Amino acid sequence: MTSLSPSSGAPRRRSRRRFNSAYLFVAPSVVLIAVFIAEPILQSAWMSLHDWTIGSADNPFTGLANYRSLWQDSRFWNALRVTAIYTAAVTVGQVVLGLAIASRLRRTTWYSSLLRTAYFFPFVASLVVVGIVWKFLLDPQVGLIDAWLGDLGVSNPPQWLQSTSLALPTVIAVGIWKNVGFTMIVLLAGMQQVPADLYEAAMLDGAGPWRRFTAVTLPALRPALLFTTLIATITGLQLFDLVFAMTGGGPVFSTESVVMYLYEKGFVEFQMGYASAIAWVLFIIILAVSAVQLRVARNRDGD
Amino acid sequence: MSAFGRRGRATCLAAAVAAVTLVAGCGNNGVSTGSSGGVVQLSMLTGFTGPDEASYQALVTEFNTSHPDIHVTMTAEPWATVAQKLPAAWATGGGPDLATPSSDPGSIFNYIKTNSVLPLDSAVGTGSGQIDSSAFPSVVRNAFTVDGKLYAVPANMATLVLYYNKDMFAAAGIKAAPTTEADFIADAKKLTVSSGGKVSQYGLSLADNNTIQMWPILQWMSGGDIVDSKGCATVNSAASVSALTQWSQLVIQDHISPVGQAGADADTLFSSKKAAMEINGPWAASGYTSAGINLGMVKVPVGSAGPVTLASTVPLMIERNGPHTAQAEQFLAWYTGKAAQLKFSQISGFPPARTDLGSALSGNATVSLFASALPDAKLYLAGLPEATSIDSDVYVPMIQRIERGANVASATAAAATQINKLTGCAS
Repeated sequence: MTSLSPSSGAPRRRSRRRFNSAYLFVAPSVVLIAVFIAEPILQSAWMSLHDWTIGSADNPFTGLANYRSLWQDSRFWNALRVTAIYTAAVTVGQVVLGLAIASRLRRTTWYSSLLRTAYFFPFVASLVVVGIVWKFLLDPQVGLIDAWLGDLGVSNPPQWLQSTSLALPTVIAVGIWKNVGFTMIVLLAGMQQVPADLYEAAMLDGAGPWRRFTAVTLPALRPALLFTTLIATITGLQLFDLVFAMTGGGPVFSTESVVMYLYEKGFVEFQMGYASAIAWVLFIIILAVSAVQLRVARNRDGD
Repeated sequence: MSAFGRRGRATCLAAAVAAVTLVAGCGNNGVSTGSSGGVVQLSMLTGFTGPDEASYQALVTEFNTSHPDIHVTMTAEPWATVAQKLPAAWATGGGPDLATPSSDPGSIFNYIKTNSVLPLDSAVGTGSGQIDSSAFPSVVRNAFTVDGKLYAVPANMATLVLYYNKDMFAAAGIKAAPTTEADFIADAKKLTVSSGGKVSQYGLSLADNNTIQMWPILQWMSGGDIVDSKGCATVNSAASVSALTQWSQLVIQDHISPVGQAGADADTLFSSKKAAMEINGPWAASGYTSAGINLGMVKVPVGSAGPVTLASTVPLMIERNGPHTAQAEQFLAWYTGKAAQLKFSQISGFPPARTDLGSALSGNATVSLFASALPDAKLYLAGLPEATSIDSDVYVPMIQRIERGANVASATAAAATQINKLTGCAS
């Protein structure tokens, strides 16, 4: 038999009130997430199964037809190839260069502080602004780069953004330049957390600079490296702003990324169902790549 | 203060925050439309962000002054922003009363398909206060008429002419602007100057992306085309292949123009005095004059197929489910009327979107030049629901490939296959 005494009921009421208050406090966030994140995600999945045009009264259900069309769409595969090349090149370049710069600027002096700021500055600037500025710099007629090359005696400077073979490498180079400062700062913070006695012990054991870097610095930086690699990969797979500002996806689709193609289909041609299917394929790719990276890192930690 | 009191207030505060957050999402979308004090408020969204915006605003101001019971508020945003906002806004009934959806006249098909644009037939006529579509250039009227219904009026009307730098012509010993295709080619070669293996001055500034189209004119001059009236590809016809071969070789071998320019790049090249000629519309004239160019303008040189140029028009439409469609129609009737179009031509330098103002324009040489090109002008991919896809997926990439040395016959054959697939042409 259970009896409720006044002394036991009061705490329970207080607990329930606290519970209700908590719910009310989180309610705005829950509502915002539900309305602006969860619902659009579910809606896009639903739209990807339809021949969906914005505002159309008739959006017939087509099942997996959009996904089947994607499979046969050479422009989509080209966009996927461009995105993969950009992501791989920028991630590797950004992490390797960031690591090299962080190693060189590890000691804090006025000079290294100045250089750190200089390297970090492009990361703070908007991607669109960076894209527009570089587009001007690389313009074959009025750009500074080709003018300097001309002064150095180069009679036919490269068509940086007009050549189908050079446009993507140029965008990759700008992407690395833009983001290397972020990687540098994260890795620099990681390096400064490494205890100095580890290096002293390594030196006592006769380890040289390279050995100390590979045996002490790199293992200690594993979490920071994983973080920067993951972030670089995800942002690389979402490539849009830079390409939109610098090349518009051209010439001849040589820099068209998956998100750029998605934008064209969804917001220029209004094929929202098809664009949603592209978004879901990209989402699955990002999920898979991130999972693989995390798994690999976890296995290494286990070693 | 008791703990219970504090918790009670915390609960109330949390409830208030939640309520405010929810209510905050229920506002309007920033479009001002409706009635106030007996005056009907109409909103008009356009993409006229360039120097010509003032001309449109002047026209709107004049309408507001002469119509005290209606007030139109025009806003201008980049075309890309308009293209992103308008479909959803009109589909949900919350958009502007009037809008120019795109600089591409083919964009009207997207809005007709979504049933969000008002057919104007009930307002069409030759009487006072009616939209006199019979006065529109036929090429425009046809482009805006779908299944017998008129869906848009021209917000502007432009033709392209040949701009040239008189100083460069004089320096090259060329006494007059070209009038034939043969002269055009000869002059472009002669005006291309190289030093040390690098081109220091181009004969012509051609753009192949993000631009008003120039390459179709080069095809039309020799009798080529892109698509016929049945929607079947003609881009691979003998005349088209011949014209594209000729002009691509002039770019690749004779370097008369840089490769891969966007429209803005082509304009910059001409205004920075690095190119002697450019095919462009009336919006460019004031900028080139301000840049200090000794500017000449003539009609596009005539090729074997006779005089031809490209026409450009921006559709102006009414939201189907708007609350004040009658007043919006009244605005369009006034906007396309004789007085408004004459005034617009005078202040903007654009030709009027009517064909019955010929003698009234004789005092303005620039407007007269653009207007005189109108009878021979063609719209790019006119009347094709698939125009946007053909342009971005097929034609522009094809020109870019050809400019970079691709085999013209193969590139045009592949483009023809793609176009026929898009339009559903069986032949």
